[in-house]
Amino acid sequence: MKEKWNFILYLVWFSYLILSAIIMFGHGFLLSRKALSDISECLPLKEFGCDGRELATSTAKGSCKDEEKILRILANRGAPVTCATTRHRVVFILVDALRYDFTEYDDSLVKPLHYQNKLPVLRETLEKWPERTRLFRFMADPPTTTLQRVKALVTGSLPTFIDASSNFAAMELQEDNIIDQVAKGGGKAVLLGDDTWSRLIPGKWLRSHAQYSFHTWDLDTVDTEVDSKIYNELKSHDWDLLVAHYLGVDHAGHRYGPNHPEMARKLNETNSRLRKIIEFLPPDVLLYVVGDHGMTESGDHGGESKAERTAAFFAYRSSGLGGEKSEIETGREVQQTDLAPTLSAALGRPPPSPSLGSILLAVLPEMTMTETLLHFSNNMKQITHYLIRYGEESQQISLDKLANLINITRDHVERAASISTNDELNNYIIDVRVLVDNVRGVFREVWVEFDSLSMLRALLLMLLAIFFNWLLTEGLPMERLPAVFASSFVPSGFISMIVCIGLCYTGYYFKMFEDLEHAIILSTGMVSGFIVCALIIMHWDGITQRWYEGRSQFYERFSRSALVGSAAVLVSNSYIIEEGATLSYLTLSVLALMAWNTGTIKALALWVCCGVVMTVSRIYRGCREEQGDCWTTGGAVPSGQASRIALVMALGSMAGVVVLVRRHTGWRGHGVVVAGCFACAHWAVGWGSLGSPSRSRLLARGAWLVIATMLGLLWKKEGQGATLPLTVCALLLYVANTLVLGAAYAPSASLALLAGFLALNIVSLLKTEGSTKLSITTRCSSSVACMWALLASYQFYGMGHHATLGHVRWGPAFHAGDPNYLPEYPVAIGHIVIGSLVFIDLFGMQLMFGAAVPLLALWGRNGAAAAGPRTQLAAVFSLCLKFVLCFAIRVFAIAISATVHCRHLMIWGVFTPKLLFESGACAAALLGTLIGATLTVRHLPTPQRTS
Amino acid sequence: MFSLNNQLELRRVTISSLNTCIYLPSIVTIVSYKGLLYSIGNGSSFYVLVLIFIAELLKSFYLSSSNDIQGKKIKLNKNRAGDIVKSFLFLLGTLTSFFVGIILFGAPVLDYHEETLMLSTLLTLLTVFPLIAYTGVESSMQLLFGVRSYAKDTVIDMLVTNALLTVCGAWLGAIVIPLDWNTPWQQWPIPCYLGAIGGYLLANVLTVLKVTLMSAAYKYPSLNFLVNILNKLCISK
Repeated sequence: MKEKWNFILYLVWFSYLILSAIIMFGHGFLLSRKALSDISECLPLKEFGCDGRELATSTAKGSCKDEEKILRILANRGAPVTCATTRHRVVFILVDALRYDFTEYDDSLVKPLHYQNKLPVLRETLEKWPERTRLFRFMADPPTTTLQRVKALVTGSLPTFIDASSNFAAMELQEDNIIDQVAKGGGKAVLLGDDTWSRLIPGKWLRSHAQYSFHTWDLDTVDTEVDSKIYNELKSHDWDLLVAHYLGVDHAGHRYGPNHPEMARKLNETNSRLRKIIEFLPPDVLLYVVGDHGMTESGDHGGESKAERTAAFFAYRSSGLGGEKSEIETGREVQQTDLAPTLSAALGRPPPSPSLGSILLAVLPEMTMTETLLHFSNNMKQITHYLIRYGEESQQISLDKLANLINITRDHVERAASISTNDELNNYIIDVRVLVDNVRGVFREVWVEFDSLSMLRALLLMLLAIFFNWLLTEGLPMERLPAVFASSFVPSGFISMIVCIGLCYTGYYFKMFEDLEHAIILSTGMVSGFIVCALIIMHWDGITQRWYEGRSQFYERFSRSALVGSAAVLVSNSYIIEEGATLSYLTLSVLALMAWNTGTIKALALWVCCGVVMTVSRIYRGCREEQGDCWTTGGAVPSGQASRIALVMALGSMAGVVVLVRRHTGWRGHGVVVAGCFACAHWAVGWGSLGSPSRSRLLARGAWLVIATMLGLLWKKEGQGATLPLTVCALLLYVANTLVLGAAYAPSASLALLAGFLALNIVSLLKTEGSTKLSITTRCSSSVACMWALLASYQFYGMGHHATLGHVRWGPAFHAGDPNYLPEYPVAIGHIVIGSLVFIDLFGMQLMFGAAVPLLALWGRNGAAAAGPRTQLAAVFSLCLKFVLCFAIRVFAIAISATVHCRHLMIWGVFTPKLLFESGACAAALLGTLIGATLTVRHLPTPQRTS
Repeated sequence: MFSLNNQLELRRVTISSLNTCIYLPSIVTIVSYKGLLYSIGNGSSFYVLVLIFIAELLKSFYLSSSNDIQGKKIKLNKNRAGDIVKSFLFLLGTLTSFFVGIILFGAPVLDYHEETLMLSTLLTLLTVFPLIAYTGVESSMQLLFGVRSYAKDTVIDMLVTNALLTVCGAWLGAIVIPLDWNTPWQQWPIPCYLGAIGGYLLANVLTVLKVTLMSAAYKYPSLNFLVNILNKLCISK
């Protein structure tokens, strides 16, 4: 039995292929950007001496004019950012999805469309007071979704899907932004409308009237609410920045499209609203009316088409606005990133630290030359600082490029001091704008553009691995498997992979290509494909013969199509949102057909129990934001702190499991009992205000210790078959799951365990064709693996998770104390502990079901456990491979769907998180299956000589 | 699966299926014409179920009317009241299991009981009720638990096909529920309700089609090819 480890090695090989393809896809697809927590600071002018140095180091302490001081500061290249002297109040009105052509007015149109000529007020003010009014095209960067746009507007940066930062869980904005700057400068901000703002930037508002914004079918509620507040707010004087976010136009676009009477109604409302606001506006207050993005002709947005990117920017101030002739032309294109530095200049603050824009003088009040120069040098200093800091924190941009940019920005800082005439100033402004455009272009390349080549290559690799392994499991007759794996197939595969990696290193060493990781993944993937393909060709006769003879039953075909269906519906966002219900529906249908195929009362009863268990687990399922009604009513989500009933349920479920299994698991059962007792004590001691958190944490550590010890003891050979160790392994993983889930969710893990147990029993009842006593072929058919994979995937939702980043619970990482206090070895152990605990919390069930896969073949009286070790091993191996193939197929489907939908409205909200979580589930299933298969190999009975 | 041996039964099967093909679409058309299609899951649309009940009852009378006239009538007369009570109880049992099954498959547990009940009543009426009305309680129970095989009987064969396709229709109907189209017909249980009716209708259309084809193939043997295809379809189910 030398070949038995070859089976495991093959599973490792397969896991590597799938995971590396996923990683490669992620590199191309997941646009990420490092969020820095730096905050722009500025020193007020009075902190400077007359020689332009800070007071502490200044030698000239006398008094002098501000103008002179500023000029000195400009000349001092090392001076910190200086606060501007003048401050203005700003009314910032965001009309969601206000496309530029909505704001145009054309008298010559005979029959205007529903969205044309609906905002005459803008044209009237432009004609009446050209010096007070500006109207620009406001160019958004993709992704043109409201959340990303709001982030961009307040930070002046280019948000991507993942703004990696220290705290990944909260939706809260981690970077410096306008609102923070206002609060830091002692100003006050007021918020009216969309609650995206209050969720992004909580706690910084003087008054906040935020409204739930996810009812895309409701055109009016938010708008009327804002209207009822805004005029009173305009009258009061206690704010510096008033933010009002109107949603009606966007919702009308989503629901009806731009060319619809409802859109006309919403635009007319906007028109009269703006007229009234302009009338109410105090003379010295700046009014900015902007759209965050446009919309396509069908009313959607999120992509990068011109219509989605072109929004409108309207500025008004009754005491007049500044700017050169060439800059104030109506319809000029300005970048949305420019808004943040401009707003902060108006509010007398430095630009937010991540901002990549330049100041728009055309929408600011008239300024003296020194003041203008001060603003521009602040802007340049901030960008220089950001470039340096980003280069320190991330290697996304090559150092040469960054150094070059930093030098040029420094030059521009110095140049500011030498400017004395208006012409020079204008040239300088133009140069700065070109420079900032360059900087933004460099960052846009790494933040906004997908790497489609590596995405397609990764898809190809995944397809190769899935297709050939599918042929291997479905085609190759199981009698031939031991022979195949006893041959040199697996070792030669590994050797060729090592050769590949060696070649890649050599090529990299001689600088034949740049991306080593990419090359290794690609070459090993292709080579593995060829090797397995060769194996398939060698055994083609056996495969064709098996397919010719084989005839599967209806339930088997149904089960396979259910899995393929569950993968195929991942192209639709509605099914991803409702995936919990879909998976439970499909699983129960498959199980029902299996029970029907058996046709006994016992199978029926098992099915009903299984159905009841799944129904009860609905209590824990919760809901996500997009499930409107369920979400707003609170969704009955058990919160972090368990209630009394939840505690009783948790203790009861754990006690029930422990009592029921102890007798059947021999001496190992005691380990499960001890671990369970520790877990129960951990919850009970830590519960409520009377509990003692420190003792509770100690107990949790005890439980983990017992689990780890027992998992180690599982490898002790006893020669009684693998069923018992596998069961105990699954139980231990169950206890581990309950520990991380906490008392509030622990019963759901018991429900999952019960559902798995019932399904296992239904499988062991399946009728066998022919007269063989053992039902190995039936038990190892892909239908069983598909059912198991569906059930395992469902448990992700059964544990109360959802495929959104906001739903990741971080509590579990700290239930046994804060891992950040663990000693820091060369590798940060604390982070690894946090990561693995959260991983178990999210995907522990896939891990458990993966480890239990061999049981599907071995369980019960007619299981493979009674067969010879060779058959047993082949059965377990083929089942394991089929199970992980199911997960690989699902990942492949969601990867394809993410590629197809990469410019979809919901891509960042629905598809990408699903891709992440499905990849995680796949990894957990692979790991679990490896554990299960290795255990089986370890505990395989020794073969008789005769066989 | 049908044989041409028993011309009389075949004719009855055809005529009753034809009847279904006419009356069910007319009911649905009238209901939707009156604008009540989206209230079909409410208790207020109970009359639809009553109409279906009456139609199925009449059909079963027709199907079993002249089936060995002497033997059956005497049997029926013996304990008719007992039979009715039994079949009522049996129907109630089926109704309950449908109700529970639907909830297990994902229908709301705590609310929408009225709607779920209407759907399970419809399923009972379309699947088990015709069987009971035709063969009586005991033999249909035997059929259900697989004690007796029905391979020989044309009528029972048709009824079982109808029942299976009805359940399949209701199963498929659930597919549209999660979609976010926000249309009124996505309300629970309208898609499943209409799916069940559609499945039943499809089964009947298939029956009529098959019998027609078979009798045509009797005259023109070239059509046997089509008959074979239809038979294969039925076996694969």
